[in-house]
Amino acid sequence: MNSRPVVLVTGANSGIGLACAEAIARKGYRVYATYRNPRKAGHLWRLSRSLPLFPLLMDVNRTPSVQKAVSQILKKEKRVDALINNAGFVMAGFWEDLSDKDVRDQFETNVFGLLRVSRAVLPFMRKQGSGKILNIGSVAGFAALPGLGAYSATKFAVNSITEALRMETRPWGIDVTEINPGEIQTSVVQNARLGERVKSPQSPYTPFTKYFENFSKERFEKAAPVEKLVGVVLKALEDRPMKRRYLVKLDDYFTYYLRWLLPDALWEWGLGIMFPWSRFPR
Amino acid sequence: MDKYPVALITGCSTGIGLETSLLLARQGYRVFATMRDLKKSSSLRQAAVGLSLEILQLDVDKPASVKKAVSAVLKKAGSIDVLINNAGWGAFGATEEFTDKEIHAQFETNLFGLLRVTRAVLPAMRDQKSGRIINVGSLAGKMTFAGIGLYCATKYAVEAVTESLRLEVRPFNIQVGLVEPGVIETRFKDNRRKAQTFFQEKSAYQPVMEKVFAWSNERAKGAPGPEKVAGTILKALRDRRMALRYALGFDAVWYPVAKWFMPSFVYELVMRRMYGRFLKEPA
Ligand SMILES: NC(=O)c1ccc[n+]([C@@H]2O[C@H](COP(=O)([O-])OP(=O)(O)OC[C@H]3O[C@@H](n4cnc5c(N)ncnc54)[C@H](OP(=O)(O)O)[C@@H]3O)[C@@H](O)[C@H]2O)c1
Ligand SMILES: NC(=O)c1ccc[n+]([C@@H]2O[C@H](COP(=O)([O-])OP(=O)(O)OC[C@H]3O[C@@H](n4cnc5c(N)ncnc54)[C@H](OP(=O)(O)O)[C@@H]3O)[C@@H](O)[C@H]2O)c1
Repeated sequence: MNSRPVVLVTGANSGIGLACAEAIARKGYRVYATYRNPRKAGHLWRLSRSLPLFPLLMDVNRTPSVQKAVSQILKKEKRVDALINNAGFVMAGFWEDLSDKDVRDQFETNVFGLLRVSRAVLPFMRKQGSGKILNIGSVAGFAALPGLGAYSATKFAVNSITEALRMETRPWGIDVTEINPGEIQTSVVQNARLGERVKSPQSPYTPFTKYFENFSKERFEKAAPVEKLVGVVLKALEDRPMKRRYLVKLDDYFTYYLRWLLPDALWEWGLGIMFPWSRFPR
Repeated sequence: MDKYPVALITGCSTGIGLETSLLLARQGYRVFATMRDLKKSSSLRQAAVGLSLEILQLDVDKPASVKKAVSAVLKKAGSIDVLINNAGWGAFGATEEFTDKEIHAQFETNLFGLLRVTRAVLPAMRDQKSGRIINVGSLAGKMTFAGIGLYCATKYAVEAVTESLRLEVRPFNIQVGLVEPGVIETRFKDNRRKAQTFFQEKSAYQPVMEKVFAWSNERAKGAPGPEKVAGTILKALRDRRMALRYALGFDAVWYPVAKWFMPSFVYELVMRRMYGRFLKEPA
């Protein structure tokens, strides 16, 4: 049994992370499902009774926490075959409504956290001469949205980091990919943080924010079940080599190819129809 | 408009910032050329004799410095019509090997600093119901190169910032655009900061990174000068409706076109070939 591949999943106590951890464990992989808040790990502990799933504390924002978790895994398993960088959240708000701290917090988890965990496992993957890293990006990683600029910027950065790591680590047999889902049914909206001044009566963006809230609510009503994404992750884990990126829903393919095909001006014209606030009365 | 448009530019001690501030001043802008270290102001000062150009201290990493400079400009000139977010530098090394501190520092200037100045200037632009913001992006915001992955990540993020901000401030008649130079011959390559581990023998990436580093130095020789970028910035400012992107330089214009036409696996093969050369070649 110990020859089963070892997978580390971050942010595994909820949503995509939880669903992936469980499904991967059912496939027989040994899954280290990490969480940052022990009070939210109940479900993981229950799963751990019947599956090769081991809950472990890890806050991707904190270097000691990451290092401790990774060294615990390595001590027990002497290897780590795959890392799924999933921990992340959404900082919503128009740029001017975000503070320095809001932006920094958004990057700390979605980008620096992802780098922190990758950097912790890579030396061992290089030593064992194999390994896979799957970054959970987003459609926002190639199509930035107003009102979600900070989140988009983190996912654009993940896009680039995936590409760099793919080239740089390949000589050691390490494969890196990115999964770019659109809306998926999770608690991501409830867990979203609002920028400091989003709800301030002084914000000049209030009418647009309201419009945007409705827009994203409608979009999320059409969100895909998480199983759809889990299927893609399982496929990527088995693919060899992995593709540069995996898309999930038909919708996401549509966005991807439109963004690729349309010149900027046309793309923006389309966005202008989706977000018609230039024409709002003021 | 009977008064000269007011331009605030960051990172003007050398390179693109310096050339842009001179060009705009010559073209009738009232320029506030900022830099983080006023001790480096002599070359700009000499070149700007007789022009309507003032030099101010502004370190984009420091909130207090940004605030002070922006309010000084508003006090002196009463408005800010143009902001050029130019300040930036490149981190060099393997993505795995940067420390937390190095990662923070790279994002602090290239991304958080750019946002800090932008947010400081926007209220005034909204009040006056006009304004233009140009972010100096890069070819590295559209294509990732091994060895400068972290720098590329900041420039990818700047693309997202520009795309989203542009739509957010359009109702206030503020235009935002991106100038994307390829390799430009400036002090950029000397100002690059290598990851600390770069100098350590134990770094597994060191041999290949050393070669990538030498190669990129080579490429900067004979590349277009910063005055080319200044010219493109001026053109963007003159376009009645500023486009989202202005690429300049053979590489910045044509590499993305090539990437666009290639299926992604072919593109990857090409990039890998390029990088693979460094892996195989003896040091
Ligand atoms: N759902 C979508 O529509 C969608 C679309 C595209 C991409 N994504 C991406 O998918 C990933 C997972 O999101 P989700 O939809 O599953 O949302 P979710 O249900 O809110 O789950 C996010 C998970 O990340 C964890 N997390 C946040 N910050 C962390 C930190 N500093 N350290 C460790 N864990 C942390 C959360 O832990 P806590 O419970 O303790 O907060 C939670 O387990 C994110 O990267 C998100 O950007 C989601
Ligand atoms: N050269 C290229 O090949 C190239 C290509 C594409 C894009 N770019 C971009 O163009 C911009 C300008 O680069 P350049 O080629 O002109 O390079 P450069 O000659 O090195 O100039 C960079 C300028 O930014 C300033 N700067 C750095 N950190 C700062 C901070 N925290 N606060 C304020 N100013 C700061 C530098 O000031 P100090 O003198 O005090 O360090 C310098 O004035 C950068 O954003 C760069 O990413 C360059």
